[in-house]
Amino acid sequence: MTKTLIKLANIKKIFYTDEVETHALNDITLTINKGDYISISGPSGCGKSTLLSLLGLLDTSSEGVYQLAKHDVSNISKKERARIRNMEIGFIFQSFNLISDLDVEENVELPLTYRKDLSKSQRKAMVKEALEKVNMSHRSKHFPSQLSGGQQQRIAVARAIAGKPSIILADEPTGNLDSKNAEAVMDLLDLLHGEGATICMVTHDPRSAKRAARNIDILDGQIVAEQNQQSSNDTAAA
Amino acid sequence: MIWQDFKYALRLLAKKPGFTVLTTLVMATGIGLSVYMFSFFNTILFKDLAFKDGESLVVINGSLNGQREESEINWLDYQEIQKNIEGLTEFGGYTSANVTVSGRDGAIRYVAILAQANIFNLTRTRPLFGRAFNAADEQVGAEEVVVIGYQLWQNQFAGDKQVIEKSMRIDGKNHRVIGVMPQGYLFPRNAQVWLPLRIDPSQLIREQATGLRGLAHLEKGVSMADIDKQLQVIMQRIEQQYPQTNSGISAFISSVPGAGGAGGEPVVYTMHVVAILILLLASINVGNLLLSRALERGKETAIRVALGAPRSRLITQLLWESTIICTIGGLVGFLVMAWGLEITEPIVTTFFAEPLAFWWDFSVDSYTIKLFLGILVSTILVTGLLPAWRTTGGDFNAVLRDGTRGALGKKAGRLNRLLVISEIFISMAVLIAAAVMVQSANEQTNKDIGAETANILVANVLLPETNYDSAAKKIRFVKQLQTQMQSHTGINEVMIMSSLPGHYSAEQKVMFEGKEYTKSSNNSYPSANYIATMPGDLAKLGVELRQGRYLNSSDNSDNKQTALVSESFAERHFPSQSAIGKRFRLVAKETGEIDWITIVGIVEHTIQGNRDGSAASVPSIFRPYSQAPRSRITIAMRLTTDNSHVIKLLRKALQGIDSELASYRIETYQASNDRITAPVVFISSLTALFAIAGVILAASGIYGVMSNTINQRTQEIGVKRALGADEGVIIAEFLWSAVKLLLWGGIPGVLAGGFMGFAMAQMFGTGMSALVTIIVIMISIVAISVIISTYLPTKNALKLEPSQALHYE
Ligand SMILES: Nc1ncnc2c1ncn2[C@@H]1O[C@H](COP(=O)(O)OP(=O)(O)OP(=O)(O)O)[C@@H](O)[C@H]1O
Ligand SMILES: [Mg+2]
Repeated sequence: MTKTLIKLANIKKIFYTDEVETHALNDITLTINKGDYISISGPSGCGKSTLLSLLGLLDTSSEGVYQLAKHDVSNISKKERARIRNMEIGFIFQSFNLISDLDVEENVELPLTYRKDLSKSQRKAMVKEALEKVNMSHRSKHFPSQLSGGQQQRIAVARAIAGKPSIILADEPTGNLDSKNAEAVMDLLDLLHGEGATICMVTHDPRSAKRAARNIDILDGQIVAEQNQQSSNDTAAA
Repeated sequence: MIWQDFKYALRLLAKKPGFTVLTTLVMATGIGLSVYMFSFFNTILFKDLAFKDGESLVVINGSLNGQREESEINWLDYQEIQKNIEGLTEFGGYTSANVTVSGRDGAIRYVAILAQANIFNLTRTRPLFGRAFNAADEQVGAEEVVVIGYQLWQNQFAGDKQVIEKSMRIDGKNHRVIGVMPQGYLFPRNAQVWLPLRIDPSQLIREQATGLRGLAHLEKGVSMADIDKQLQVIMQRIEQQYPQTNSGISAFISSVPGAGGAGGEPVVYTMHVVAILILLLASINVGNLLLSRALERGKETAIRVALGAPRSRLITQLLWESTIICTIGGLVGFLVMAWGLEITEPIVTTFFAEPLAFWWDFSVDSYTIKLFLGILVSTILVTGLLPAWRTTGGDFNAVLRDGTRGALGKKAGRLNRLLVISEIFISMAVLIAAAVMVQSANEQTNKDIGAETANILVANVLLPETNYDSAAKKIRFVKQLQTQMQSHTGINEVMIMSSLPGHYSAEQKVMFEGKEYTKSSNNSYPSANYIATMPGDLAKLGVELRQGRYLNSSDNSDNKQTALVSESFAERHFPSQSAIGKRFRLVAKETGEIDWITIVGIVEHTIQGNRDGSAASVPSIFRPYSQAPRSRITIAMRLTTDNSHVIKLLRKALQGIDSELASYRIETYQASNDRITAPVVFISSLTALFAIAGVILAASGIYGVMSNTINQRTQEIGVKRALGADEGVIIAEFLWSAVKLLLWGGIPGVLAGGFMGFAMAQMFGTGMSALVTIIVIMISIVAISVIISTYLPTKNALKLEPSQALHYE
């Protein structure tokens, strides 16, 4: 029983800079189901980050339809998009992007503070749970600058999952980490997927990609192949 | 290597001409304005006089009720001081008097200095010709002698070297010229005529003793504060001994130029503080601009450090940049300032009826140059070290790793906040202080002096006691002059008073009939401006009658003594009953026949002299000239024709009556009043200029730092938006942090500005409600500019899609 979470249909993204048009995404059609574990790979500049930004409502597409949980979100207000990012989406960035003025706990709590429906104690409980999951509770009063890269990324994961989003979007989450730390973060994502999280991750690293169930290859803004680990069959993009 | 760094810095500056011009202009403004302000006050108040030992020459002034205002001290008190004080040597003293000198060009009035014999020794200056005073000249009854100034010698004697032993008519008496002082010698201020001060040693009663200004040299190693302390002790002792004459009276010393600033300290200090703050603002702004440029090059700097460039080398480079900017800006500022000083003298000259004090020589002197160089070096250090400290002190590793923070580094954030707080503090303080100054200048110029000034020409005449020794002679002269002038067509009305509304007037102590006065102190008698006027003149000048009647021709010397008083006088002394019919008498120096004076009318309040504070509210008594004749009179003529014609008529009339009389300060009534407020208007315009410069510097500076800060936090904004913060949340967050900065800088700023403003408001008599209004307005201005400086860059940063903001460099 699979439930559709995201439906992209004929998505295009064109950047205009100094009279130069960059067709970053060209007719992307993609369906993501609840519980999917997707990896996106491709050469540099092919549009992976752009695709992830559109999925995360960090940017708008030039053409095409984006349905999130059956709702068309292609043309909604900025405020509504902010709300959806907050409630439904968890981001993990290559460069961690923790706020240096805030300590670990406050960083994890940050997205929760943008919600109006949570009490302080509820937030505290959610932060505690997320930090326990990434095994960083003992560092809750530290500031990002006092942590190693691997630790910072685990905090970023905690921040992404604290609000129990429908989908976790990760753009090269291990890109800035050595292999040991990368391994740890990937284990963490595996664990989250095991608990039912939907994950969509951009990665260069084939070993990381192998952990995902669906491997999507992009070239010049188009999906050129999708591999399904379980079936091991090459199937064309639907 | 140094040359290389210098060239590199030049290249960087040349690459961004807009930036270079902007920073240079900011620096020029800051340096130019503050050097001007310091130089200006140094010239008028702090400069050492240009003769030998000029730096140790001090004046001993009297003070009343703790008010340090330039005034004379009693000769007997001065004797006590000389006997008891330690740390002063070579005591001398002088007082001044208006005299008429008749000579080649007719009669001319001078302010003569009546000096003790050693006045020229005290100033270490010998006459060009002839001799200085000696002890014999000081004897009462000795031959009348005079020492004249170079200018007078040129004008009256055409520079004749045989002038010594010639005689000169002063106040109708022949004086033998015994000496000519060298060119430029005008001590104590702008003197041309020095007469020996003759003190009758039998002057044993304090009430009758001469007043004078003491002069002395301060011994090496003794401070003015030391002397002030001793003076207080000595004067307190005298006060206990002679409460009648001396209660509330003390003395203080100052330098000769400094005496003019006594009582004006709040303004002087405020102006200096404002000057320093403006300089600080300019430095902070340039420092910040350099900082933001250094940050743009932050990666480059980090790479250089990683590659092993020594920190000192990087600092040198940054210092070169600030050196170039500050030096060019400083020179531009210096040139403009030099021009400003150049035009100051002609402007300031118009404020005073008398020539300027001889040390008021506004020019680029050695003090100005030293100050300029000092300020230049400090601005270079402040503007250069600020970015140097920030960029080279950082964690290069973190910069290179390009990583963790989506936010501004902690240290940079703190520095930026500190910058904004300082700018808020400074601009708030400067704005409030300046606004109070401008406000009180405004109030003063717009104050109702009680009379109509339109179309009136005024002139002053001095009647020498020698020829006008009786009341009858004075009265005859005044009547004659009035009748003659009135007969001319083109002159509508002629008014003669001892002092017109608006002008300074002598004050007189009075006592009321039926009122007991504690005999313990002369200073407990009420005091009022004491003005003699020809009947009908107040009505002609538009001084309105409130009660009773104006003076008329029935108020002559044969009748009972009468007076008009101002409304303020009546309210102060007869708050619950009518003042009409009440009687008072003068508290006279001479003891003798006492006449009771009856109040016959009440007129509106007139301001006599300074428009500020308590001076403006001193009440007035108007007496018929025939009952209270004076030797200093002012004639006012309401004209229908042009002035020059009337001036000739007046000169001719005076010559016709008495060839030894001089008219002086002939000008329009309006001009004579404007001159009284001119210094305040000048200082307040200067302050306004500073305030405008301050606002521009502060507003642009705050905008610069804020937009810089927000720009540097674009990534952080991206992260927060990715996490679900909508625009409202981001804007609210930034505005809130701006409000916090506003409080941090604004509260101390309001306190500092309020303190300076309060001190000036006290001095000028500006009301508390005006002060509060000013503070509220200035808070709003600063708050609005901070809010705008935050809102616009935030809004700008929000224009980026979150995905772009995240990758913003
Ligand atoms: N804001 C933008 N403005 C203009 N062009 C952009 C913008 N963002 C991305 N691009 C262009 O779109 C294309 C896709 O960029 P994208 O960042 O998605 O690549 P990527 O696949 O993530 O590459 P990498 O593996 O190097 O991260 C590139 O050619 C890039 O130059
Ligand atoms: Mg990318």
